This record gives sequence, C-alpha cells and structure tokens, in this order.
Amino acid sequence: MIARRAVLPAAQSEQRVGDETKTTKAGRFPPWLRKRVPARGEAAEVRRLLAELDLATVCSGAHCPNLPECYARGTATFLILGNSCTRSCRFCAIEKRPPGALREDEPQAVAEAAARLKLRHVVITSVTRDDLPDGGAGHFARTIRAVRERLPQTVIEVLTPDFRGSREAVETVLAAGPDIFNHNVETVPRLYAAIRPEADYRRSLAVLAHAKSRATGGMPTPPLRGHASAADATACPANEALGMPPATLACGHRIYTKSGLMLGLGETAGEVRACLADLRAAGCDIVTIGQYLAPSSAHQPVARFVEPGEFAAWEAEARALGFAAVASGPFVRSSYHAESVFANRARGNEAPAPARAGGAKGDAAYGRR
Amino acid sequence: MAAVDVPLPELGKDAGDEARVSFWYVDVGEKVAEGADLVQMLTDKATFDIPSPVAGKVAKLLAAEEQSVKVGQVLCQIEVGG
Repeated sequence: MIARRAVLPAAQSEQRVGDETKTTKAGRFPPWLRKRVPARGEAAEVRRLLAELDLATVCSGAHCPNLPECYARGTATFLILGNSCTRSCRFCAIEKRPPGALREDEPQAVAEAAARLKLRHVVITSVTRDDLPDGGAGHFARTIRAVRERLPQTVIEVLTPDFRGSREAVETVLAAGPDIFNHNVETVPRLYAAIRPEADYRRSLAVLAHAKSRATGGMPTPPLRGHASAADATACPANEALGMPPATLACGHRIYTKSGLMLGLGETAGEVRACLADLRAAGCDIVTIGQYLAPSSAHQPVARFVEPGEFAAWEAEARALGFAAVASGPFVRSSYHAESVFANRARGNEAPAPARAGGAKGDAAYGRR
Repeated sequence: MAAVDVPLPELGKDAGDEARVSFWYVDVGEKVAEGADLVQMLTDKATFDIPSPVAGKVAKLLAAEEQSVKVGQVLCQIEVGG
C-alpha cells in the first residue's frame, strides 16, 4: 500500500518490552498480539442465533480477542448458569453481580444452537454459582444430555467451575457423559490470592484428579447414544478425533481431562513447570497455555507479554511431561480451536493469516525464561 | 455506484463498547481488493486489522486516527460497482 504507513507497525514493535512490568495501554502490544479480522464469515449469523435463543457466550463475556475469528468459523463457547458470577477473579471481565434464577430452558437452547451451528465439538462453560446448592452441576448435566440428544456424534467438552471442591457435583457432571472434562487452574498457586481470591489451587487440582479417577475408575458413564458398548468405540466421535486405537479409548467409559493456565500474570518459569507437573500428577490429559490479556485497565494488569518462542518451548515441555494434547500460544484460550486441540493437531497460535510486518521470530525468544 | 458501510466489528467487545483507531492503511480514493486491510484498531486486549468486505474504492474515512469508535459505528465507506 502506501509507504508512509508501512513504517508504523515496525515503530510499534519497538515499543515491546520484555520482562519489565507494563500495562496494556492501547498501542503497546507486541507484534504477535495482532489479530486479523475475517473479511467475510458467519459472524453475524452466529450473533443473530445467540440473540434469538438468548444465549450468552464466554467469548463476549470475556472480551475474547478471538471472537471475530471463532464466530466467523461458526463456533462459540456457550456460557450457562447466567452471565453474572459469584466470584471476583481479577483477570475476568464477566460481571460480578448477584446472579438470577436459572433458566430452565437453557439446556434446550444450547442444544438448539449447537444443532443449528452444526457443531462437531461443543464447548459449554459457566459462571461460578456458589449460591446454588449443587454449584450448577445439575444444570451442566442437563445441558450435556440435551446436546447429546440432539447431536449424538458431537464431542462435548465442559469447562466447569470448581464446585467448591464438591465430589458429588463433579460426579453429577460426569454421569451425564461429557467427552472432555475441563477445569482451569488458570495460574500458579502463589498468585491465587491476588488473581483468584476465592479459589484454591489444591482444590482445583483435586477436582481434576477426582474427575480422572471417576472417569477411568469403577464408575463407567453411560455409553454414548448410538454406541451399544465400549466395544463399539470405533464409531465414537471422540475416538475418531483423537485418532487413537479403540483399546485406548473405551467409549463412554473414559473422559479426557483438560486444564489451562494463563501466562503473563507474574509467574516464574519454575512455577509454571511445577504447575504442569501438578496437572500431570492429577492425571490431566490436555493442557492449554495462553497469554493473559487484561479486559480493561480496571483488571489485573499484564505483567509480561510472553514471546511466541517461549510458548513453543512450553508446548514441548508439556508434551515431554506426557500430556496427550497441548495448545500453547499467545492467543490460545481454553476453548480456542478446541476441536483441533482435541485432535492433537494444534500447534499453538493458529491465526488464520500469518502476521505481516513485524511478525515475531519464534526462536529469538528462547532463553527468556 | 453503491457505497458499502464498513462498521467496526465486535472485537470481543459488545455493541456500544469502544476500540481506538490506530492508523489507516488506506486513503480516500484508493482502490482496495476484498480482504485487503483497511485500518488497524486497538482494544484493551489486542491489535486488530480490519479488512475490506468488498472490492472497490475508498469513498470516505469516517474515523480519525486516535479516535475511539463504538462497535457497530461506521469506520469508512467503500464504493463498489464503479
């Protein structure tokens, strides 16, 4: 295009700061935190559908920078149990107001939206509802069943709160037979008091460990609709997606567990390493690692922009620890490209088009840790 | 000759929320292909390049650099079928 403009992205890239604390003041993003908005796509259609069915998404609730891309791809992550949260995590943009009554028809509405969007991989998450006796586990289970009923071949992933550590609540969710049980630890234990004051790192690990033990232990979940038994696993969508031999995946008897953490909140490399080891010790199968971005200046500021090469190094390290699937990159979010992460194909930041001017050189960032 | 409005898309922000114009890649009168970048926007979370939804000629720029623009507000107009 025009020469006078061409110099600007480079000038901006010079503003990037390494390990120093910095704010997310507009105009100060490193070049790899640049998204290209799809020119065409189904974004408007997804928005219309969500409005029609009165459904919330975490994409919008969290001001996710991937939203234009994901909506244009015809996908979204449903946010159930209302759109206000009983906790006050400092990284999250979801409103903290006293939540209202549960919407009885929400499970059906999610199923309807998933069916109309023809989703092959549905991600369902929620606000935290410490005000409800079961923490919303029953509502999660109803939503899973409603989606399964409508879309028996679709992979169902739930991203749940910690249910205050209630094993019963976790089992209620598992009994509905999701394919992936995701619960994010979000950050390293030292930062919990500052970032997730009402959460507890060990409790979150226990939730994951319990989900894993029930999933692989003595309580088989009901076989998926359309699958007579575990022997029928070859036809299981989850099995197909992972490309695993049937023996590895007993359809309906095993649930993959998943967790994620944000980098750039002030954690050290040693703490991240310990956290990944903790997740593996809890039997966690899949991990996502992304850059924390502040939803506004009123939220926890970004301590550091982690370079793409460092995300790649974490991915390699996580794989070496034995995670079945890893997604690690600046724009990786818990459910970003969840389908391909599950299929073990994700390689970090899968932006639709490579960055042009000022594109980051991954390996330049090694040794930063 | 018809002018197509290019509104600020929902960059993770809801309607009514704002993003800031970082700079324009194009000038008035310039020809653009469909998908060519028009403008770079900034939110609290990232930098976004907004592409042209159609091929045509830039008719009007309706937001200045550094200006805050609301989601849904028209950024520029592209003349098509000229």
